[in-house]
Amino acid sequence: MLSKITSFALCGLEGIPVEVETDINKGMVKYDLVGLPDAAVKESKDRVESAIRNSAFKFPVNKITINLAPADVKKEGSQYDLPLALSILKASDQLKADTGGTVFLGELALDGHIRPVTGIMPILISAKDKGFTRFVVPKGNANEASYLEGTEVMALDTLREVTAYLEGEEVFEPVKHREFAVTQREHKYNCDLGLVKGQRVAKRALEIAVAGGHNILLSGPPGSGKTMLARCLPTIMPDMTFAEALEVTKIHSVSGELNEEGIISLRPFRTPHHTATTVSICGGGGGKIHPGEISKAHYGVLFMDELPEYTRRTLESLRQPLEDKIITITRSGSAVSFPADFMLCASMNPCPCGNYGSATLECRCTPAQIQKYRNKISGPLLDRIDLQVEVDGVKYSDLAGDGEEEPSAAVKARVEKARAIQRERLRGENINVNAGMGEKQIKKYCRLSAECESVLCAAFNTLKLSARARSRIIKVARTIADLAFSSEILPEHVLEAASYRNFDVNR
Amino acid sequence: MCYTREEENLIILCSFNGLTYKTRYKLLEGLEKAEPDFVKYRDALIKNYGDGVYNKVEAQFNDAEYRKKIISSLGEKGVKCVTYFSKEYPALLKQTDYPPLVLYCKGNLRLLNTRCFSIVGSRRTPNAVIAECKKTAGELAKHFTVVSGMADGGDSAAIEGALPSGNVISVLAYGFDYFYPAVNEQLIKKVEKSGLLVTEFTPDTSPKAYLFPIRNRIIAGLSEGTLVVSAGKKSGALITAEYAVEYSRHLFAFPYGIGAAAGAGCNGLIKNGAFLVDSTEDILGIFGIDYNAKDSVCLTDSEREVYELIGVSGEAFVGDIASKLNKMPYQLLPVLSSLEIKGKIVRLGGNRFSAL
Repeated sequence: MLSKITSFALCGLEGIPVEVETDINKGMVKYDLVGLPDAAVKESKDRVESAIRNSAFKFPVNKITINLAPADVKKEGSQYDLPLALSILKASDQLKADTGGTVFLGELALDGHIRPVTGIMPILISAKDKGFTRFVVPKGNANEASYLEGTEVMALDTLREVTAYLEGEEVFEPVKHREFAVTQREHKYNCDLGLVKGQRVAKRALEIAVAGGHNILLSGPPGSGKTMLARCLPTIMPDMTFAEALEVTKIHSVSGELNEEGIISLRPFRTPHHTATTVSICGGGGGKIHPGEISKAHYGVLFMDELPEYTRRTLESLRQPLEDKIITITRSGSAVSFPADFMLCASMNPCPCGNYGSATLECRCTPAQIQKYRNKISGPLLDRIDLQVEVDGVKYSDLAGDGEEEPSAAVKARVEKARAIQRERLRGENINVNAGMGEKQIKKYCRLSAECESVLCAAFNTLKLSARARSRIIKVARTIADLAFSSEILPEHVLEAASYRNFDVNR
Repeated sequence: MCYTREEENLIILCSFNGLTYKTRYKLLEGLEKAEPDFVKYRDALIKNYGDGVYNKVEAQFNDAEYRKKIISSLGEKGVKCVTYFSKEYPALLKQTDYPPLVLYCKGNLRLLNTRCFSIVGSRRTPNAVIAECKKTAGELAKHFTVVSGMADGGDSAAIEGALPSGNVISVLAYGFDYFYPAVNEQLIKKVEKSGLLVTEFTPDTSPKAYLFPIRNRIIAGLSEGTLVVSAGKKSGALITAEYAVEYSRHLFAFPYGIGAAAGAGCNGLIKNGAFLVDSTEDILGIFGIDYNAKDSVCLTDSEREVYELIGVSGEAFVGDIASKLNKMPYQLLPVLSSLEIKGKIVRLGGNRFSAL
């Protein structure tokens, strides 16, 4: 007999419907699985067989041929266990109910339990787009599935439950739709700018960076609080909208990094170690293409501590996604795109020993060493980092002081106002922050008065700024003006912007 | 513009074009009072001008309607008057013989009380000298307000050179109702916008040849020194030079080759003791200004405050400066950048700065 069950494969964030066809015929006892299955799928035979037996069904002792169609798409992962089992049960006439139009996903345990799988959110979203509305998913994925409207998702625990549900022997409640609750977005971060003592210049720079969507490089001696400052970034970023949260969740679902809640409601903060491979940063991998750190940091922050320690190849690979906000990973057979709209926050020491510029400690580096260290970060990459700020070494009096520090919430309120101004101005330009402006938009929206122009000109001549620093300074000046609710860019805005450029100086 | 009664008296006096300079200065004493007393000068006035003129002058002086009309028509034209009695009246000009009683001005009045240096040249100035003149004017404008006329050639080149800095005064030999020479109409408007236009003639005075030498005494009178960039044997620029010498001001001239007609006057001046100038340094040196000095950059109050704080310790940390000034460190960033651009301080790394 022949049976057909629908399941889904994932290609990047895109779901592709997969038909699991089983044919059971008389003949030599044999189990053939075709249709480009990977190792995890091939191994499913043993799990499926045990699960069927342990669920008080019979595993047919016949010639079994299973095809995963379309045959030219690679099938990876363990979500085919449940459809395989159902397909066998149906072909052997142990399951009589109609299964058409329902999508089945789930990994089987030997005892017949259904284990959660990765990628449920993107599969559900693209399946819904393709017209599927009924789903059977593992119980462990119930939360993740609950945010999708207009679907009927059954989250079941065992193979027996699935058959009982299909045959109508037992009634199960579909997963209840959940709204993206405001409470979930509430402050759940461990850090707050209010806890960082001193560092006023760096804090101001963070505020500007977030307000205008600029990338930022913090340089300072070891232990000066660069990492702590960076960790505060998500706390001053505007809250994620539901659409943003869904997109972030899709990526994290594919990489199996979802929390119990089933949705990522806080802006991601990713901190890959500097030994990370290029593939782990950008995405890729043999077989299934995984999203990299830059995609996992989508709508959040990618924090690269000790920037010069990363390999050159890794750093250079960031250039294109920083520009396009998307990364396309190409294999000979396929190309997969992942969104990568992240804010880059990098930190580094001012020199190899870390004491350059320190008031109290002596720097042991020669100028050539310092130059070599800084040269590890290429010009084109620096070109994409609008703010380059020095973080002061911390003094004990700062730490011990009981001075009132501004909490993140206050900064966030200012950031949101500045962002609203930018959205209004850049409406129709397909960007919503100043950092996204190209030369054309800079010309259109950042007109400089003669006075500003002369300040900028003087800055170039005296500070010997590189040519590419110009548009960067103008963009940052625009953001500073927005934070000050000024429709015009004033000379003091340009001057402040010019002070965040300590790596641009031609040395 | 508001004028005191005494200032108003002078404006009204100068609105009668018929009176000679001598008469005007004679009347000056009487006009220092709020209510002018003409009777004292009655005999002299009637003797020189006749009964009719005297009666008319006195009647109009006391006619409130007429006074209002004159003042308001100046105001409508955007003309600001600086009179001999005004505190803005340039001190150097006051020292000369026959200083103008009223300066009709358009533009930035502040320039009247800055250090002035005049650059004049004839209309027949060689192109190479025009370029040199522009350059010199631009460099001098960093230290002085450049004063000149508006004639084509040397004068307009000096004005153009100094225009970008805004430190420029053009003294006209006619009233503001006219643009002369016509080719310089745009330049005149530019000077009004970023510099200062000055004339001693009422707005309805049309340009006449004999007014130009009279005007030249103001150019020389305003300035601490005068540079003649080009002058033929009988050039009007030489008249300005003569006034400069008469007022004991420094006189400079560009040197020319033997037989160069455009510079015969200049060479003549040098022969008679004018300073030979072949670079701006020559001029600045006479005034004791170091050509390469950075001190000439002017600092704003907040910049000076920060600069002095850094200067005290030689090296300072942003946070420390900020706490001394009771400000947030990031509020100092624009000031520090500006000081850095002006070459007064240098970044040491770690947000520390050192004074130069």
